[in-house]
Amino acid sequence: MRYSTLLCIIIFLLFLTDTFAQNNNVVQKIEVSGIVTDEFNEPLIGANVIVKDMPSLGATTNIDGHYKIKIEPFNRLVFSYIGFESQEILVKTDSIINVVMKESKSNVLEEVVITGTGVQKKINLTGAVTAVDVDVLKSSPSSNVTNALAGNVAGVLARQTSGQPGHTTSEFWIRGISTFGASNSALVLVDGFERNLDEINVEDIESFQVLKDASETAIYGARGANGVVLVTTKHGKPGKINISGKLETIHNSLIKLPEYVNGYDYAVMLNEARITRNQEPVYAEDELTTLKYGLDPDILPNVNWQDVILKDYAMSYRANLNLDGGGANARYFVSISYVEDEGMYKTDNTLKEDYNTNANSRRYNYRMNADMDVTSTTSLHIGLSGMLKKVNDSGKGTSAIWNSLTGQNPVQMPVTYSNGYYPGFNVSDIRDNPWVAATQTGYRQNWYNDLQTNVTLEQNLSFITKGLRFIGKFGYDTNNSNWINKIKAPERWTAERQRDDNGEIVFKRVNEEQLMSQSSGGGGDRREFIEAELHYNRSVKYHNFGGTLKYNQDSKVQTYNLGSDLKNSIPYRHQGVAGRIMYDWNHRYYVNFNFGYTGSENFAINNQFGFFPAFSLAWNISEEPIIKEKMSWLEMLKIRYSWGEVGNDNVGTRFPYMYTIGENMAGYQWADFDFSRSFQGKTYTRVASNGITWEIAKKHNLGIDISILQNKFNITADYFHETRTGIFMSRTSLPMIVGLQPGDNPRANVGGVLSRGVDGNYTFKQKVGEVNFTLRGNATYSKNEILDRDEGFKQFPYQYEKGYRVNQARGLIAIGLFKDWEDIRNSPVQNAWGPVWPGDIKYQDVNGNGVIGNEDRVAIGATTRPNLIYGLGLSAQWKKVDFNIHFQGAGKSSFFLSGGIAHPFSREQWGNVLQDVVNNHWISRDISGDPKTENPNAIYPRLEYGNVNGNNRQQSSFWLRDGSYLRLKTLEFGYNVPKNFVNKFKVNRMRVFFIGTNLLTFSKFKLWDPEAASNDGGGYPLSKSLTLGFTINI
Amino acid sequence: MKNGFIIIILVAIISSFSSCSDFLHVDNEIKDRLTIEAIFSNREYVEEYLANSYTYLINDNGDVGIGNWPFAFSDDMYNPQYKNIEEVKYNEESYQGSWNNAYMGIRQASIFIENVHVCDKVTEEEVIDFKAQARFVRAFYYWKLLQKYGPIPLLPEKGLDYTKSYTELSIPRSSYDECVEYIVSELAIAAKDLPMKRELLSISRPTRGAALSVRAKVLLYAASPLMNGNNDSYASQLIDDKGKRLLSKTYDEEKWAKAAAAAKDVMDLNSYQLYVSYRRESGDLAYPKTITPFDDGNFSQKDWPEGYADIDPYESYRSVFNGELSATENPELIFTRGQNQGDQGVNYMVLSQLPLRAKGYNQTSLTQKQTDAYYMIDGTDCPGKDMEIGRGDGSQRVTGFVSSNDVKAGKYKPLTKDVSLQYANREPRFYASVAYNGALWNLLNATLDIDKGPYYCWYYRGGEEGQSNSGNWLLTGIGVMKFVRPTDTNDDRNTGGATSHITKKADPAIRYAEILLIYAEALNELTKNYQIASWDRTNTYSIGRDVNEMKKAIQPIRIRAGVPDYEENIYANVDLFREKIKRERQIELMGEGHRYFDIRRWKDAPEEESLPFYGCNTLMTESEKEQFHMPIEITSVRTCFAEKTYFWPISRDELQKNIRLTQNPGWLTEY
Repeated sequence: MRYSTLLCIIIFLLFLTDTFAQNNNVVQKIEVSGIVTDEFNEPLIGANVIVKDMPSLGATTNIDGHYKIKIEPFNRLVFSYIGFESQEILVKTDSIINVVMKESKSNVLEEVVITGTGVQKKINLTGAVTAVDVDVLKSSPSSNVTNALAGNVAGVLARQTSGQPGHTTSEFWIRGISTFGASNSALVLVDGFERNLDEINVEDIESFQVLKDASETAIYGARGANGVVLVTTKHGKPGKINISGKLETIHNSLIKLPEYVNGYDYAVMLNEARITRNQEPVYAEDELTTLKYGLDPDILPNVNWQDVILKDYAMSYRANLNLDGGGANARYFVSISYVEDEGMYKTDNTLKEDYNTNANSRRYNYRMNADMDVTSTTSLHIGLSGMLKKVNDSGKGTSAIWNSLTGQNPVQMPVTYSNGYYPGFNVSDIRDNPWVAATQTGYRQNWYNDLQTNVTLEQNLSFITKGLRFIGKFGYDTNNSNWINKIKAPERWTAERQRDDNGEIVFKRVNEEQLMSQSSGGGGDRREFIEAELHYNRSVKYHNFGGTLKYNQDSKVQTYNLGSDLKNSIPYRHQGVAGRIMYDWNHRYYVNFNFGYTGSENFAINNQFGFFPAFSLAWNISEEPIIKEKMSWLEMLKIRYSWGEVGNDNVGTRFPYMYTIGENMAGYQWADFDFSRSFQGKTYTRVASNGITWEIAKKHNLGIDISILQNKFNITADYFHETRTGIFMSRTSLPMIVGLQPGDNPRANVGGVLSRGVDGNYTFKQKVGEVNFTLRGNATYSKNEILDRDEGFKQFPYQYEKGYRVNQARGLIAIGLFKDWEDIRNSPVQNAWGPVWPGDIKYQDVNGNGVIGNEDRVAIGATTRPNLIYGLGLSAQWKKVDFNIHFQGAGKSSFFLSGGIAHPFSREQWGNVLQDVVNNHWISRDISGDPKTENPNAIYPRLEYGNVNGNNRQQSSFWLRDGSYLRLKTLEFGYNVPKNFVNKFKVNRMRVFFIGTNLLTFSKFKLWDPEAASNDGGGYPLSKSLTLGFTINI
Repeated sequence: MKNGFIIIILVAIISSFSSCSDFLHVDNEIKDRLTIEAIFSNREYVEEYLANSYTYLINDNGDVGIGNWPFAFSDDMYNPQYKNIEEVKYNEESYQGSWNNAYMGIRQASIFIENVHVCDKVTEEEVIDFKAQARFVRAFYYWKLLQKYGPIPLLPEKGLDYTKSYTELSIPRSSYDECVEYIVSELAIAAKDLPMKRELLSISRPTRGAALSVRAKVLLYAASPLMNGNNDSYASQLIDDKGKRLLSKTYDEEKWAKAAAAAKDVMDLNSYQLYVSYRRESGDLAYPKTITPFDDGNFSQKDWPEGYADIDPYESYRSVFNGELSATENPELIFTRGQNQGDQGVNYMVLSQLPLRAKGYNQTSLTQKQTDAYYMIDGTDCPGKDMEIGRGDGSQRVTGFVSSNDVKAGKYKPLTKDVSLQYANREPRFYASVAYNGALWNLLNATLDIDKGPYYCWYYRGGEEGQSNSGNWLLTGIGVMKFVRPTDTNDDRNTGGATSHITKKADPAIRYAEILLIYAEALNELTKNYQIASWDRTNTYSIGRDVNEMKKAIQPIRIRAGVPDYEENIYANVDLFREKIKRERQIELMGEGHRYFDIRRWKDAPEEESLPFYGCNTLMTESEKEQFHMPIEITSVRTCFAEKTYFWPISRDELQKNIRLTQNPGWLTEY
């Protein structure tokens, strides 16, 4: 198949060279020269001068603003420069043409967006598309583009859960989660091909669009239901070489860590936890005294483990170099970038020469986009890009380090014993000494190597009929990764609680030394894409129409670690045709029809292809003559509506229609004893799920775009309503009488989800004196409700998930703490998880049967993923200084505290205790001597030691915490160094900037950073960053 | 030129389409994987598919064994593994594997029945046989479900379609009689196509006799008081989702006649007979010289099958169970799982019986009640029988012990010196079944000579097998010898893994003695004559309470056991005979998985199971052996009967998934 396509392309190319040769007529040329300046008469360096409709014929201005170009007479020259309005001048004869460029007032009517079928003017848009300001993405100090999406992009809900270098990916969902199926994430296309957004160099991004509604995504057919992100990378511009560089140094500190108690408080509370449940205390009075004054740091130490293993800050560095330019027939864009994130762990200086145990990450990106004009109507684009990444971690790994950090109490063991012995814990390896875990366990390395190639051929077919174009694309990516773990462990000791008669510590060896051992593995995949498009755009008088027809196919196959299942080696494949027909009358009334007819290899032959139609309508009211006349300040008022169907083929299971027959199942021996005549068994281990196909989303979108007072105020708002049906699910509630093998749950397209919400953004620009202010804001709110779900039968209606949110949290309703024994006697029976005492959590008897049990669990709180994300920003420019402030917030999210952090001493002496517990828990008057400490409204219940009673550890509203927050996400100052100064160094422009990120966080939840929504404060938190950097253009 | 462009572009596009039309077809890459069509077009695969449909008979759906099928123990035997069952301390989720496995087997068999005919690699006769086997095994699963859970949902012939909605997949329970009718008719269909005999290499496949025997058993249960005319409150609560009663309210005597006719169907096959071992004039400890049975002036004068003059009843009876006979050699074995016994079968049961000396678990004990049930050699009751539980006839237990003079004089065979005289002069089945205090274990298969018997096993406290802090001692001081072959020991000194030195034994899932007992029991209940068609409708039996017919059934069992016949007045009296037949089943079928169900279907369980266990006083040491043999109540097992245990609870999880399913009375429905 591939050969035939390649063959076609080759024939095509040969053919074109033929055309090229023919067009190469010799005509007398004239020379034009001049100076290009700005309004202040400053020469503009690197301004583009091209011949209209012939982008290959062009020149750029030199350091004095001079240009020189040879053209055929009676052509138009186009002068352009970033930030200035283009000018066209008709040239008849040889002449000197000096041009004064005017700074552009960016005009909404001229803004373009990129959609699934190509570039469109924003004014002509009928669907819901968010075009992301790429500069916003650049001001994020994160090496990962996804971390800049939250609060910046209307229509995207996002959450970043880890700050670990190399693992800082944000989860994001376009318009929230509208399915509980296997995949709820968006389709990401980079230069038209499905690629990973995480590893892209932000400086390479030319445009970033989010396609939200069905009219924009229907052409992606069975893959577009969760929305589409379109990224295009930069291309070279004709003219002199343009070199720009950027250097940034970033200072990262952890936002907020849980605050743990000191050793003495720990020991006192430990004793309380024992005494309050009629158990012996652990620490004797004299031991408490020893602890209080730190008299014996070997046996009764007082360690703040966070101080021991976490640095105050870690640095990150980013460097980027772009070159672009080009001549008559070819243009290029080349970039290389380097990102280094240092880890937050302290390292053992003695090992520094040997290897690095820190969690750090280094990444190189490179990209080359070359555009060649093979003929005046044919261009060829070749893109090559790649990424090399190395991620380092300590031998135990970050999750183990944070586990020991949240687990190791301050008294259990010192960092090292005074004789140099490493302390250990004899229960299990997981409960290691955090210092040992972070520094003495060897290291892990992950290497990633991605290589991406794409070739695009564009042919203008105006000679067939005006406005017709052909685009063919081919892409080939190979991604590889491998990992090496070099693990070791030192000898570890534990000291007995009593010294011997001579006052010496009695050591017991708990772990033998483990010398370095190695393991390794890897992964990889290969992807191929082919696309062919025909575009047609034409305007005849007031009638503007256009059409696109597109064929595409792609395949992706895992190339490493395939295992023995035949299905693993079969590529994931898609194939389809898609198209769009557009018509508008005088930019006033718009009609759009889109379709995708796409198929996926994952379904049975008859279910592979589906037809996904969509249409959209728009009415640009501001183009009505009466408005134009009477309300000329209203530049744009457009109402848009779209409806369509899109699919989601990622059902999470390969080939659900195929059954599997187990080969070596239990069999039977027919013969008598001492003889043999037996057969192995064969039976269905997985039955076929027939008729399985993709999920279908039916989407409505109603939007409005307003632009008034010469673009001073812009607003776009969209309401969306989506019904997702046919969500692919396992049928887990089949009765056993059906007789399937254990664990064989056939699948079906049964689920349904309704999601609704709004998203929108506005900008307001105002010049006050010499200061240009821009006020920006955006918000996305989405709420969903499960309409249908495979969930069998439940005893009480509130136990169904139907009618509630996707991933709705459930738990008991806590109604405070038991006041006293009397209260316990007078309340419904509550002993399902053990006997309760005063000060324990009291739950509501939801079903009124007089007994508290699991069936009293109801939907409480929201979901850990926020349902509301908003951003607010202000930027100002004054002469050479610019300033930008951006707040980002999330709402409608909640999470539960759980584990050792919420339930101190539940894992006995494993588990650190929050400082917050000290003064906020219920204390029996017998211990405190004060009845007031039996506070029924305390935040933490009566202490308890060990795993005796589960009552307080049930997921309940008692532990529910509000995950909403508002943070000062970005604060940026920039200064453009004056031109006449930098020009002395042959530099065209230079900007110095400072960016602060995550500087302030406002949240009801104070214990740690709420965005992570962590249950126990463990895990590598997000960073507060300070960035100093500069950019240079030569 | 320009036209050339168009052509090229069209060619490019069309060629990419046409050449890609199979782009999404993945069949080529996996076409050689195993399909259901391949299964039913390959002889080996057909056999394998059929083989798998039998596998669910093992463990959870066993008949004889110990493990996930917890019915080997009732008021007769005890194993600490089942303390929670004796004490009714289990819940709705206990031992539910049988439900799941039976329905998996039903599905597997249904698919087989539907598809096997398409296979052209097996002969037509084989197709018929295979299909009949699958039908038999499917009916058997239903029977195992019915026996344990009572009325159950009957599925459509082709099984359930898992793509249907949960509402459609909610199938209510059919009534007991409907279940019986379905199972019985299926078994008759299977019987038609099953062969009369199986040879050595297919001994665990069912025969016509097996199908007809299961049929008789199912009909016997259906005729029994629990299911036939049950008007107590328990039965009134056993209903389906529409309130329909699942146990019939009106007594129908004809059900007994049907059960009797079904047993007669098996008897008339003339394929089976009780096994006998002939009289041995000399012997050793393991295979002793025949102890001459009681001279009753009748059986003692005649040769087998009219009498026991020429047979060794002890050897005859024990050989049926202890692996002395292979399954093929055993003429009374009607259906067995043969070698397919999982890890909870007969051998595992033996392991739990073997004394510690033999590396056994020394755990399975016999109750005093069961011990007393065995007759004296002359067919009378043992002195002091059941006196502790208030059923005594005024006689007292024998005291004293076998002296060395007694041994020398050849008295009280096979007892050795110092064995309690309570165990003297008992019927042969007693010695084949009961491991009394001081019983002989031969342990001939031990790897080393020092581990071999003869080992006289004593259960006194302080002795190596007596009461201890471990869990390995007999609560009643009386063990179980049935199923143990003289060779059996677990002492393999690590030469071949656990139980490798225990002879492999076929499980007596159904044997001919049971058919005879069914026939006798059913006939006894009849007050008039019934005309019942034979299973294949070729014949019509006139079934009534004919004493000669009853004798024809019960006498072979008594003769083979070496005990005299019942008195004529017993044959004449319905109630007396019923008592005798119940006791005969209690003795003859001990340890074969009957007692638990029998006392329930007779509705005797409320009384029998609520009685405390009695046994020897295991606190006594050897020096206090008189007291050891004065039965006391075993207080550590709080035996009781709960009405809800008539039928096993249905898992609450299953009740939630199948909303039309109803729980058995007394058990919880919801979480």
